[in-house]
Amino acid sequence: MAATPVTNLESRTTTRLRSLCLSEYLVLALTVLMFAALAPFTPGLGTSANLLNALGYLLPLFIVAVGMTLVMITGGIDLSVTSIIALTSVVGAKLMTSDGGGTPAIIGVLVMLALGAGLGALNGAVITMLRLPAFIVTLASMMFLSGFAVWLTQSKNIYGLPGSFLALGQRLPIAFALTAALGVAAHLMLRRTVFGRWLYAVGQNATAAHISGVPVRAMTFAAYVASGLCAALASVMLTGRLETGSPVLGREILLDIIGATVVGGTSLFGGMGKIAWTFFGVLFLTVLDNALNLLSLSQFSITITKGAVILFAAVLDAVRNRFVVGRS
Amino acid sequence: MTTNKEQRTANSELLSLRGIEKAFFGIKVLKGVSFSVPAGGMVGLVGENGAGKSTLVNILGGNLQPEAGTLRFAGADYAPQNPQDAARRGIAFIHQELNLFPNLSIAENIFLTRFPRAGTTPFIHRGEMHERAAELLRKVGLEIPSHRLVKTLSAGERQLVEIAKALSIEARLIIFDEPTTSLSERETTRLFALIARLRARGLAMIYISHTLADVFRLCDDIVVLRDGEVVGSGATKTFTTEKLVSLMVGRTMNQLFPERRAEAFGSEEGAPILEVRDVSQSGVAENISFSLHRGEVLGLSGLMGAGRSELARILFGLDPRERGEVRLAGEVLHHLSPPNLIERGVAFLTENRRSEGLCLDAAVADNLALVTLPQHGRTPLRWLLRDSLQAAVTRIRSVVQLDSKTSDTQPVRTLSGGNQQKVVLGKWLLSKPKVLILDEPTRGIDVGAKFEIYRLIHGLADQGVGVLVISSELEELMGLCDRILVMRSGCLVDDLPRVQFDRERILAAALGTAKEVKS
Amino acid sequence: MNRAGQRLLDFAPLLLFVAVLAFFGMQSGKFLEPRNLVNIVVQASSTGIVAVGMTFVLLSAGVDLSVGAIMFVAAAIAGKMALAGSPLALALLVMVGVSLIFGAFNAFFITRVRVAAFIVTLATLFIGRGLGLRITETRAMNLPDSFLQLGAAKVLSVPLPAWLFAVVLVVAHLVLTRTPLGRQIFAVGHDVEMAKKAGIRTGRILATVYLISGACAAIAAMVTLGQLGAVSPKFGEQKEFAAITAAILGGTSLFGGRGSVLPGTLLGTVLIQTIENGLVMTNANPYLYSMIISAVIFAAVLLESLRNRALKL
Repeated sequence: MAATPVTNLESRTTTRLRSLCLSEYLVLALTVLMFAALAPFTPGLGTSANLLNALGYLLPLFIVAVGMTLVMITGGIDLSVTSIIALTSVVGAKLMTSDGGGTPAIIGVLVMLALGAGLGALNGAVITMLRLPAFIVTLASMMFLSGFAVWLTQSKNIYGLPGSFLALGQRLPIAFALTAALGVAAHLMLRRTVFGRWLYAVGQNATAAHISGVPVRAMTFAAYVASGLCAALASVMLTGRLETGSPVLGREILLDIIGATVVGGTSLFGGMGKIAWTFFGVLFLTVLDNALNLLSLSQFSITITKGAVILFAAVLDAVRNRFVVGRS
Repeated sequence: MTTNKEQRTANSELLSLRGIEKAFFGIKVLKGVSFSVPAGGMVGLVGENGAGKSTLVNILGGNLQPEAGTLRFAGADYAPQNPQDAARRGIAFIHQELNLFPNLSIAENIFLTRFPRAGTTPFIHRGEMHERAAELLRKVGLEIPSHRLVKTLSAGERQLVEIAKALSIEARLIIFDEPTTSLSERETTRLFALIARLRARGLAMIYISHTLADVFRLCDDIVVLRDGEVVGSGATKTFTTEKLVSLMVGRTMNQLFPERRAEAFGSEEGAPILEVRDVSQSGVAENISFSLHRGEVLGLSGLMGAGRSELARILFGLDPRERGEVRLAGEVLHHLSPPNLIERGVAFLTENRRSEGLCLDAAVADNLALVTLPQHGRTPLRWLLRDSLQAAVTRIRSVVQLDSKTSDTQPVRTLSGGNQQKVVLGKWLLSKPKVLILDEPTRGIDVGAKFEIYRLIHGLADQGVGVLVISSELEELMGLCDRILVMRSGCLVDDLPRVQFDRERILAAALGTAKEVKS
Repeated sequence: MNRAGQRLLDFAPLLLFVAVLAFFGMQSGKFLEPRNLVNIVVQASSTGIVAVGMTFVLLSAGVDLSVGAIMFVAAAIAGKMALAGSPLALALLVMVGVSLIFGAFNAFFITRVRVAAFIVTLATLFIGRGLGLRITETRAMNLPDSFLQLGAAKVLSVPLPAWLFAVVLVVAHLVLTRTPLGRQIFAVGHDVEMAKKAGIRTGRILATVYLISGACAAIAAMVTLGQLGAVSPKFGEQKEFAAITAAILGGTSLFGGRGSVLPGTLLGTVLIQTIENGLVMTNANPYLYSMIISAVIFAAVLLESLRNRALKL
């Protein structure tokens, strides 16, 4: 029997709407549209100085979003990424400054990455072994790690980081190269390796995957480890750029991360997602954030807008879900 | 123009079905079912699994709508769109899976959408609620305080609460679907006494059950369903058990099964590839022992709930086992898990292909590749060798004869049942299994696709694969298998080689209407 | 899990409570004084009221992460009104109105558009926080004394906040145990599909619980305003977590269908407040609060999941 169309009775508008919603490039189109619409009103939107600034926002956001994409593909979510960013920032900074005896930058970075991966592993272990819902586990993690970071530093920032470390965040070519490398690696992993296929299978139907021999628990665990690792990498960049080890680093970008990933097209329901999509989503949010800041909108207006954006993204996801697959 | 006689007959019919038809994905499940229930009468509805009984019940209950045919209840048209419509008209259902909320009390479950209020306040009049509940519980003979939580009740007690619910909506017709499967002897006796009392009060009933003895005992009339059609109906006294059973299974129809070369029939001379000894899991299986030989097609028959699928799941490591040994090609397997078994050449098609066998939103090719992905991954990064993967996919497509009109990138959800099953089969065949376990392989599939799957099974057996087929269609097993095992209530009760295949004997073993025979 | 183990889990909240009391009692002599204990209840009122609302939502198998933000917006608006000279009663009324709008907003996206509750309420959290910051212009607002007077008022020598908490508890308890709405919430929380089949208007029930949650947030904000007399940019922060923890500690299940406000949420709230009080009394590091609460949430959820698996409903 040949493939049956979803329904023969769709109206023209619905069909057009559907193909628009389904287009991979919808978000890219929206971004360009947004850029074009705001350009005349926004002073300095196109200047090179601004572009540099925007990149400073985009690169770390993309790095964390890559990890979040992997977790979401398996059908989960990681709300603790921003506090992993904060904690690794603080721990790394302590080590690399006089407090920690001035450990060389390279060791500091490695420790940060290991810590991020370790914290991700903790999340992953609890979720896969104790079978607790991802959102509450990572929510509790978020609170705990954030509180821990604040306690460690007594709310104080840490300055005086070594130059070699700062270069990682500030020297654009390095930051760019790191980000691109991660993006490409993740993309290749998803598209061209067995692991990628397994991740999608877990998100699409964990039961069928299990029966088909896919190591469901191991893959889920790995996704959270990856998420923690990405958060740590982003932290390296952010800490370097801000030249500060801060216990509240990244706090404002949690919504941005989730919003970017979901807007890009990765589904909260799992089983769907691409690195390229996440990139489009991050681009969208970067332009949005950048423009809002340039328009001198107050911080709270920006927060409101971002909250609305994530809602919009989630609604789009739910609607897309119903159109594409007829899931109700 | 209806005559007086027809009018009188029509008036005494409480429920009448005429020409009810229903199809799923193009497969006709009900092909024009007609029968009626007289006022105050008791009709037994019997038929094998897959005969269409549950579909019929769902239509009567408003969960499904028929494509053709008419329903009439109490002299008026009846076309329920949801369960509330059925309740409003006075039809109650006692399903196998009870719709009770364990975290609420008995009384609350009964009055969940119709709580009596304390005057004009928003509060529930608890006194009245419990009084009315107690009254209903008395009527069904349940001596339990109505404020007890349902989660503390046994299966039999919960069922009585459901019946109390039925009485509370002043039902005129109660439909029982396999009511005695989870009941003890005592509870069954209690249920039958209640049924007698309710009948004395004029309630009509439909009684669906595999326990033919009970049907004979309780019902005035019997309707036999087979393959979506009524193949026999009439007063109970006009039937005997043998006649009933033979109607249920039907005479041999045209050649549905591929010819198999006589000498190719696997025999016990082939080496055993899978040996199961004393596998037990309380409540599910008891001391199951059997062997599956190379090149043998072994059937596993029995009623739903007999434990066949559960046994298969245990063998594949999806569910735990308390005791027992499983040997594959002579090697004892201590730890049963899907990756372990797949590695050793075991494949398992579950009975729920949509929820357990396929990633519905993924493409055909992705589904086909799922089990054998690691074989196409170059270590250490498990880089996918897409060419070899594609070649494998293309090859298996032709082996299972997947419809050429379906593309590799199509989401599997859009395929017909038959093609979906071929995808699942293809997925497993790529792993070149030595043992293939199939649970209801042709459920919901049209005749053409069924034939192709049978041919595949025979082909595999000819190549030396040991195939275990679980099916509720006796015809299928008898046409396909070299040997049939029968399970009932978690035990293996019969083992017949092909030369001894006998419908009545198998069904009798499955139903428990004959003494246990072990060959 | 045997019967004994199961009973133990059921009584866990109570046992935990006794253990915590004992622990802090040993650390500081002043802890177990009646004045301190009454103090605990009064301080717990605000969190407790939010926790009651959260209990409704959790019972329906949902979650509301936006309650803290709703408190903030409601308080900010009331503060602005009061400072502009509005009568107190009007300001309080507007607080409830605002919270209901937020509740309806949440309810719409959760029941109609079918977006997951945690994402919707997470978004509302940020929208609300942003709105609140906008209204207060990120500055602290000192409210007129009328608020503090209300907060300090005593009836029968028990402060008003505690009375408000008691009233909310009793009303909630009555609704949950004695009204059709309450009983249906339990049914929906157990299995929403089965509830729909049974004829329950699940959309309405779900919408109602989010409205209730919003309203409770407003009332809690009133209490906090009465106690602090000011609205700072951090007003209501992390209240949602304290509320979830209190409810879960009190025996309400994250998975829906099981729980109570009396004694459940009351116990859970007092327990959390006791921990906080104890930390203050023993001069523990204030930064530990966040960590302890999250550790407690985690323990509570773990206990919950064990209970869920032990019970074969």
